[in-house]
Amino acid sequence: MKPSRLSIQSGNTRGTGASKYLLCVLSLLITVFPLPSFGKLLLDVDNPNLGKMPIMVADFLSRQPGPLNGSELASIVKNDLITCGLFDVVPAPQPLSLDQNGEPDLKTLAESGAQALVTGSFYVNGNQVTMELKLYDIGLQRLDLGKRYTGFISDHRYMVHMFDDRILEKITNTPGYFTTKIAFLEDTKTREIFVMDYDGSNLHQITNTRTINLSPEWAPDGKGLIFTSYINRNPDLWYVSADGQRVIPVSHRKGLNASGRFAPNGNFIALSLSVKSIPKIFIINTEGNIIKQLTNGLGNDISPSWSPDGAYIAYVSDQAGSPQIYVVPVSGGEPKRITLSTSYNTDPHWSPKGDMLAFTAKIDGRFQVCVIRPDGTDFKVLTNKGSNQDPSWAPDGRMIAFVSNREGVKRIFVMDSKGTVQVAVSHVPGRSPAWSPRLK
Amino acid sequence: MNNCRLIIYISALLTVFALTGCAKKIVRPNEVPSAGLGMAGPGAIAEGELQGVQTSLKTIYFDFDNYTLSPEAQAAINYDADVLKRYPNLTVVAEGHCDERGTAEYNLALGERRAGAVVERLTALGIPGARLSTVSFGSELPVDPNHNEQAWAKNRRVYLRVSK
Repeated sequence: MKPSRLSIQSGNTRGTGASKYLLCVLSLLITVFPLPSFGKLLLDVDNPNLGKMPIMVADFLSRQPGPLNGSELASIVKNDLITCGLFDVVPAPQPLSLDQNGEPDLKTLAESGAQALVTGSFYVNGNQVTMELKLYDIGLQRLDLGKRYTGFISDHRYMVHMFDDRILEKITNTPGYFTTKIAFLEDTKTREIFVMDYDGSNLHQITNTRTINLSPEWAPDGKGLIFTSYINRNPDLWYVSADGQRVIPVSHRKGLNASGRFAPNGNFIALSLSVKSIPKIFIINTEGNIIKQLTNGLGNDISPSWSPDGAYIAYVSDQAGSPQIYVVPVSGGEPKRITLSTSYNTDPHWSPKGDMLAFTAKIDGRFQVCVIRPDGTDFKVLTNKGSNQDPSWAPDGRMIAFVSNREGVKRIFVMDSKGTVQVAVSHVPGRSPAWSPRLK
Repeated sequence: MNNCRLIIYISALLTVFALTGCAKKIVRPNEVPSAGLGMAGPGAIAEGELQGVQTSLKTIYFDFDNYTLSPEAQAAINYDADVLKRYPNLTVVAEGHCDERGTAEYNLALGERRAGAVVERLTALGIPGARLSTVSFGSELPVDPNHNEQAWAKNRRVYLRVSK
């Protein structure tokens, strides 16, 4: 089998120095058997009454001691599976009992109630590590998924996340988001843009503008971000490459050049400009030229969010006296107000699946992350501890990053779109999270 | 003497390290004061006089999620317009601010609108539009960092920054 080569671009620390390009060779270890049409591991994430799948994760095994710890590697898997809200991780026996072929004795494990088992083994060679990762279906007593990855030791977390992406794809039919990243603003005076793995690891500073930055938003190709910055003492729209090396102006008109969002095809940017004194939603191309003015009237219009097909834009307007969310066709037409429940609704973010908008609502004097269908039905409040804002969808359309002050300082949290699991992921104070697209 | 030279040599080396190595360090900028991003250049009037004009100008305050001018706000703008008429060479940036509540982006729009409302009023009072511009800082630069009604009331403001 021909191994495919995967290049991983690592975000550059502190915006200086040469970018690192890491190579990771990945090959399919085991051909998956044809599956029967029933009984297999499957979670229908659209089922509102979905229960969690009990799963075991055994400590990874290594033939000799080395710089990596098998229990810590297993913890990466456990954390991925717990925080995605779909699994109950149940304790695995230590050590696992093996059958005569050296495979886990799945019959014994069935008594635990666990439906699936993840195992891993690894060996280190110089600065490289090779991992063999497996997913077993305990009920059907068979191997469901097996992968071997080789890469730099420093990329061990990424390799484990790659396997977890495949586990989720196997079980939910949608690849996981564990290899994606979250950009956010440091919540200090400077508000530089940082990027971290979705779980908070591998924190890198991207900008070094030493002024206020706002609203980071990924380009759909994942190679850079747009953001609003006061580099030239005015809120202008800038682009920064993901390694922090290139910082270029996109729109620097008098007044606001705020809340820029790439169209799904990457060719256009919606943003709020106040060229005619009142902030209005405009569409520009990536060179910064105005293509059209999308909204009119006397309200402040800001925070556009494209539907995944690029046909509609949701945005905030206070034209009716308080900030509310409206949806307007990009081709033109009358905006339709979709939030009616509370007096302050902002920050719409359209799910990549298209079925939901996440947004921030003011409820009982605090701010909460909510979801609503684009037609204004099915309004649900997802958070209730402290103040919670700035929702940003993961590319799977099921997970949401947001900022919460529930622990005192503002930190970046992630949750599933039902709000069942809500965990802090940033180890530093932060706000304005922007979940990356799937990174190649 | 030799020791002296050695010390100079080492200091020079350290300086080089500081310039190269530290360039990568996460640098915290100086605390930006509430309206510290403006720049007062040298002008026709003396620096001290410019500062005098600056301190004599009144800050204009607003209600929550609101950019309409209250009677107090209008009185402050009337006062400021009279000051500005006495110094026709000064230009004015109306810096719009909000309190911390709400979302950063909406507050950016609100701050722009507050600044715009003040500029519109100043224009109506006879200050030429060419002397006036706006910049919104949203909720990014509070004068009072506390999280209570008193602090919020101080932070919902338009600050008129004069320069030559």
